[in-house]
Amino acid sequence: MISRKISNLILSFLIAGGFLLSALQVSSEELGDVDAPIKLAINEWTGQHISTHIAGQLLEKLGYSVEYVNAGNYPQFQALADGDIHATMEGWTNNLGDIYPVKKAEGTIVDIGPLGLNAGEGWVYLKFMEDMCPGLPAWEAMNDCAENLVTPETLPMGRFLAYPADWGNRSEMIIAALGLNYKAVPGGTEGAMVAEIKAADAAQKPIFMMFWQPHYVFAEIGEVAWVDLPAYEEGCDTDPAWGMNPDATHDCGVFKPETMKIAWSGFQEKWPAAWDLLSSYQLDNSSQEAMMYEIDVEGADIVEVTGTWLEDNEDRWSSWVSSAMGS
Amino acid sequence: MAEQILTRLIRPNKVVLAEKNILPILWGGVLFFSALVMILGSDLKLLFEFPESLQVPIAGFLDWIMFGFVDLFKWFFRFISRVLEWPMRAVQGFLEWLPWLTFASLATFIAWQGGGGRTGILTLALLLYIVIVGYWYEGINTLSLVIICIPLAVLLGFSLGVWGHKSPKANVAIQTTLDFMQTIPAFAYLIPILLLFGFGPVVGLIASVIFATPPMVRNTILGLNRVPPEIRESGTMSGCTPRQRFWWVEVPTAFPQMLIGVNQTTMAALGMVIIAAIIGGFEDIGWEVLGRLRKAQFGQSILAGMVIVCLAIILDRITLSYAKRQLPTESHTGLRLKQFMIGFIGIAAISYILAIFIEPLRIWPKALEFYPADAMNTLVFNIIANFGDFLETSKNQMQYFVLLPVKLGFTRSIFPITWGFALTPTIIGIYWFIIFMGAAIALYFRHWQIAVAIPLIASILYFGITGISWVVYLAVLPLLAFSLGGSRVTLFVAGSLIFLMVSGIWVPALVSIYLCSVAVAICIVLGGLMGIWASTSERVSAIIRPINDTLQTLPQFVLLIPAVMFFRVGDFTALLAIIAYAIVPMIRYTEQGLRTVSPTAIEAGITSGCTPAQIFWQIKLKLALPQILVGINQTTLFGLNMLVIAALVGTTGLGQQIYLALSKVDAGGGIVAGLGMALIAMSADRMMRAYISRRSN
Repeated sequence: MISRKISNLILSFLIAGGFLLSALQVSSEELGDVDAPIKLAINEWTGQHISTHIAGQLLEKLGYSVEYVNAGNYPQFQALADGDIHATMEGWTNNLGDIYPVKKAEGTIVDIGPLGLNAGEGWVYLKFMEDMCPGLPAWEAMNDCAENLVTPETLPMGRFLAYPADWGNRSEMIIAALGLNYKAVPGGTEGAMVAEIKAADAAQKPIFMMFWQPHYVFAEIGEVAWVDLPAYEEGCDTDPAWGMNPDATHDCGVFKPETMKIAWSGFQEKWPAAWDLLSSYQLDNSSQEAMMYEIDVEGADIVEVTGTWLEDNEDRWSSWVSSAMGS
Repeated sequence: MAEQILTRLIRPNKVVLAEKNILPILWGGVLFFSALVMILGSDLKLLFEFPESLQVPIAGFLDWIMFGFVDLFKWFFRFISRVLEWPMRAVQGFLEWLPWLTFASLATFIAWQGGGGRTGILTLALLLYIVIVGYWYEGINTLSLVIICIPLAVLLGFSLGVWGHKSPKANVAIQTTLDFMQTIPAFAYLIPILLLFGFGPVVGLIASVIFATPPMVRNTILGLNRVPPEIRESGTMSGCTPRQRFWWVEVPTAFPQMLIGVNQTTMAALGMVIIAAIIGGFEDIGWEVLGRLRKAQFGQSILAGMVIVCLAIILDRITLSYAKRQLPTESHTGLRLKQFMIGFIGIAAISYILAIFIEPLRIWPKALEFYPADAMNTLVFNIIANFGDFLETSKNQMQYFVLLPVKLGFTRSIFPITWGFALTPTIIGIYWFIIFMGAAIALYFRHWQIAVAIPLIASILYFGITGISWVVYLAVLPLLAFSLGGSRVTLFVAGSLIFLMVSGIWVPALVSIYLCSVAVAICIVLGGLMGIWASTSERVSAIIRPINDTLQTLPQFVLLIPAVMFFRVGDFTALLAIIAYAIVPMIRYTEQGLRTVSPTAIEAGITSGCTPAQIFWQIKLKLALPQILVGINQTTLFGLNMLVIAALVGTTGLGQQIYLALSKVDAGGGIVAGLGMALIAMSADRMMRAYISRRSN
């Protein structure tokens, strides 16, 4: 493990060295304070680690030193506001927590811009369930097969696995608004939810749960399908009059989230070129999912995987680097 | 002082109460009152939901104080974390640079010096596991955190302990603080720590130090208080100044006890590894375990978790062996310091040179790693595919017949589809008739405690823990505390109840209490039986012991993954997780209690013609009871400790409140929930301890 790390280090030094020569032309004023390390937040999921490591290696190519700091998805915004951490690469706009809006209104954190991942979120089930619940993927079909999903805790209703309690209770509200015969059970943690769907797939047991993509679990287990909920439109989660249920909000699916790069408010002033680079930085689903699979399923090292991706896709990022240097 | 006055005031009272036999009357009154509340008030929402108008925004108040404090003193705490960053990076860098062979040989040598051949071989074998499985780099990062943490915690603990020893006033304050520190789950104070110290690996270190210090304080106080006055006097007689007497006489005498403290501190620091990783770990073993758990990779997470177990066993055995060496009975003495130093340097040099020339001895090649995670995962999936239905059925039985009645009561859990019959008025009538007959029979034989216990337990099952009015709790629990321990405990229990209600966490607290009481009851039965079995057979004992060690040091999260896969997210899975951890003290104390029954007592039983059954019930169990009670106490505390972990698989008690608070950086809410847990744990602990000490008097 370490030997690879060291050889990797040497490799990246060589690459960085090459760039440094060209970077020498850039005056340090535009780079900003290169002596101070830029601290990037590491959150709880592999996709985010990939987005962050690619950004980090790109920043290193410009001549910055980068530190990765482990911080939770919600508490990180406190750290960003305090300037303890300087940027986070993959904030999901549907799951930013309660601190983000406060700090953003204060002006202590700023959005750099979207990352470009095509994120999705909704209710999933396993494909084989279409035999026992004819009519799927339409949401109306769920009621007819609720009895197949009854458990002691949810009796007499079917069991629906919702997000962990600290991720909010949208599923519960949608179930109530659509008049579904299900009871939402909190999922506890991502690991527990993944364990459930893996086990359901192995035992061929039915399951409905809220989930998101991109996620490597789609590459790992049998066919997962999405329930067709009434499409999200602005207002359907705030205005009761909207949609089929006139008395309730949330009689619709969830809005399509974006992934956002977010920084400490002093970032742009301290490291102008880095800000430019991060603004142009984009990542697509298929790249991220392929790397996720290599890391999570095949057990490859993240620094290696992201390093290889950067080598193979120089055409994508060379313009970001050169425009950052030219600024 | 105040304590003495208070007990003097209470003692005579107690005698009077006992003489007048007021307790049965009080119980009768409370039972009657509770029955009235439950029957007449069953439609009054007010009695079942603690009124919001009586709630106090404690969390908000704490938040306000907390943020004020943070704004004022942040610079100071940030300074500390900056200072600590240097030694931490230095140790980490040094250990990463050191070839594994050098580290392993030196650690083995140190272990041998302390405990002889067996300790040495054990240390070497466990380190080799870490190397071969491919977690050396992560393991060594964790170790560097522990290595920095221990001296800090020991120094801090020693100073506080000395202070507590010298000043009785400080001692009271210190002991109470320690009680809270050890019962508030570490998760609850993560937010204040984050706010004060910032983010990064150092914060994990600081959390570990906070968690690891209490055992050192306690053992220092204990050791110093136990220094015999004769020894102290002889110090004075030979002309020591107070300072000389302290350092040359008292500290050396208390030294073995303090080394026990060092040992416990080390174990506590390792216990924090995962939690430290949540807030600030990086590329250490805690981080690895957490990452694997998030991906629900059971095999990988258990292989990584075992690394923590290995480190724990190594550090435990080494520190214990040095503690034992202070005893005159220990035969292994090791080398003299000078020889030891020569050996140390020699081994370091030789192993380093070897490692330079033979690459695999410096860094274990990936090709030679043994990493059977996939096989383990396949095994789990095979079990699910083949026994899924059986597992599901057994879980459902347990839910229908145990968990749901305790949580919701018979009234809300008996339906034709679950129990096979409906709860008709006739059945309800028969149920209560049997209960009253049972109580009446107990009264007839003058066992009034049993006569009280029968309707109490029957009501819990009938209404469910979450279905009983808070007014009833407020009447019954303080009276229970009074019967077990007296006024001080009563005040504490009543105060805790009021805190739980007023701070608005009463409903989740009830869920936590329900989950914990079922788990503890199962632990008492199962653990008790296993302890009895282990006490009769050396072989069983030898098999159970390492399993117990592993259960206690393996990060508790690791077992959650297969549990979720087998039994899905929910209370049952959480119950299994709690039992797996909390059953250990029950087994240990039962076995130890039965084993230490004096042979003369058994001899006397045999000569007076007891049957084996009589010997077991009348002599062994009776003499072992005090130890077993301590085991029950520990099991309860361990079970409450696991509630935070249980929330990871979707339970809705106080544990979940802490995560909710964590996600909002709501310091006050987290502390309130944590405090709630601590108060429940301390109430249970005080009631049981009072009962134990009264029994032994």
